[in-house]
Amino acid sequence: MTPFCREIRKNILHASKASGHGHIPTCFSVIEMLCAVYETMKHDPAKPEWPERDVFILSKGHAALGFYAVLAHYGYLKVDELKTYGAFKSRLGCHPDRLKVPGVEASTGSLGHGIGIAVGMALAFRLQDSSRRVFTLIGDGESNEGSVWEAVMVAVNLQLNNLTILLDSNQSQVRSLPIPNPAERFAAFGCDTIETDGHDLAALKSALAKPGTTAKAVVAHTIKGYGSKTLQDNMFEWHRKSPNPEQFEQFVKELEAA
Amino acid sequence: MRKQFRDTVMDLAERDKKLVVVLGDISHFLFIPFQEKFPKQCFNMGICENTLISVGAGLSARGFHPFVHTIAPFITERSLEQVKLDMCYNEFGGNIVSTGASFDYAWDGATHHCYTDLAIFRLIPGMEVLQPGSRKELDVLIRSQYNNGNATYFRLSDFGHTLDVPVQFGKANVLKDVGAKLTVMTAGPILGNVMEACGDLPVNLVYFTTIKPIDKEIIARYRHTQILVIHDAFGLHEAICEVPELSVTNYGLPDRFCVWYGTVHDIRKMIGLDASSIRKAVQDKLASKPA
Repeated sequence: MTPFCREIRKNILHASKASGHGHIPTCFSVIEMLCAVYETMKHDPAKPEWPERDVFILSKGHAALGFYAVLAHYGYLKVDELKTYGAFKSRLGCHPDRLKVPGVEASTGSLGHGIGIAVGMALAFRLQDSSRRVFTLIGDGESNEGSVWEAVMVAVNLQLNNLTILLDSNQSQVRSLPIPNPAERFAAFGCDTIETDGHDLAALKSALAKPGTTAKAVVAHTIKGYGSKTLQDNMFEWHRKSPNPEQFEQFVKELEAA
Repeated sequence: MRKQFRDTVMDLAERDKKLVVVLGDISHFLFIPFQEKFPKQCFNMGICENTLISVGAGLSARGFHPFVHTIAPFITERSLEQVKLDMCYNEFGGNIVSTGASFDYAWDGATHHCYTDLAIFRLIPGMEVLQPGSRKELDVLIRSQYNNGNATYFRLSDFGHTLDVPVQFGKANVLKDVGAKLTVMTAGPILGNVMEACGDLPVNLVYFTTIKPIDKEIIARYRHTQILVIHDAFGLHEAICEVPELSVTNYGLPDRFCVWYGTVHDIRKMIGLDASSIRKAVQDKLASKPA
């Protein structure tokens, strides 16, 4: 694991322990993807409203703590603020709010919404003859929602090659409605589709950099709870839990060994 | 009214390159002249109402003035959450323009009837909810509201009234004030039937085209009278009742699905919203003792 990605995961654990709120496993599965996006995008943490910036939308809004930790890593937030996660009057809710948090471009949480907004923004940049790009991260559970596939169809029909959809394929739906062979599905819907290891930062960055002729889908195979064996082995139990001090120490130890 | 919608946005698009029309595979032929003149400002996006709203929000987020247009139940009831979150909570406002509300598509049956739209949209914080009753009213209200950054709902009808009412956003019109003890309040196209029914009866008549924000000042002015709300949808009665200390009776829709076909006029007659049924209801109210 890349050292700074390990550090980001530790910050997530600290914030979860301090706040009593969870969603750690889903956050752990998206860290490399988020970092790859922020290392690819045109952006400036000193000027979050920079008019030439690219846009990222976390469509699976429940990975907010992971998003905040990554935003803190890239300078949008102070790491110390992460501890306020989910607290009354904190800027950092358990789902991100664009009117509160610098770097958040759309308020998300209800699944299957962010990707549609991303399609609209990508169309807007096309109409403005702008080279700005839009990235959106969706979950495999989120992909149970029909609106995800509506948005994909529209993006492909409009040939929005300035849009990249990252799928966090972390098998979270094995107990209900799994999406087997997601790359085949995105390809069948007409996306430029790239399959990759969702924890390989270099491979993700290479996938994001590759030019295409239509909307791109990066199907990232990830592990829910990646970096902590306990979280990986008990992803459903830990979906919303936060660790007590002993569990926290255990998870940090597991992270350091990963 | 749909043709007026097309004509008004075509005129606005001459000067506003940020105006974008997003169609849900409805009014396709109507908008061909628009599409030919402004090919980068009109998209027939398909039958995907949730995404139409989300895309409208995304366009709005980047400075465009979207008009999202399709059939009333699908763009309102099906897409309620997208309107609530993507447009309103995110403050990515845009224009939602429906056609075929209430029983305009009577012949298509209950799947195509839509009478909850005004009521559900008025519950969403920040929304503007408009029910123009004629082509002219639609033109005035679109020009007044379309680019103010808010989420605005325009409920079109193919059966508008033919009266000439000078409307203004947020303001009700007192069409008749005879100092009567009974005040009829109504909104949108059904005004034609209401006027025919009680134009010569001793009642005051107040007409709304803005359901939200409702004109509380004018409503309060009639607090000392009995108020009879006559409407072919939900929403107006509830909005009027937000004003305290009123004596209000609702004359509107029954609590059951409308299972007939035919035309909007057939349905209105069946449920008592044709002119003669309305007249009888008003006369009964006039004859009854105040509560």
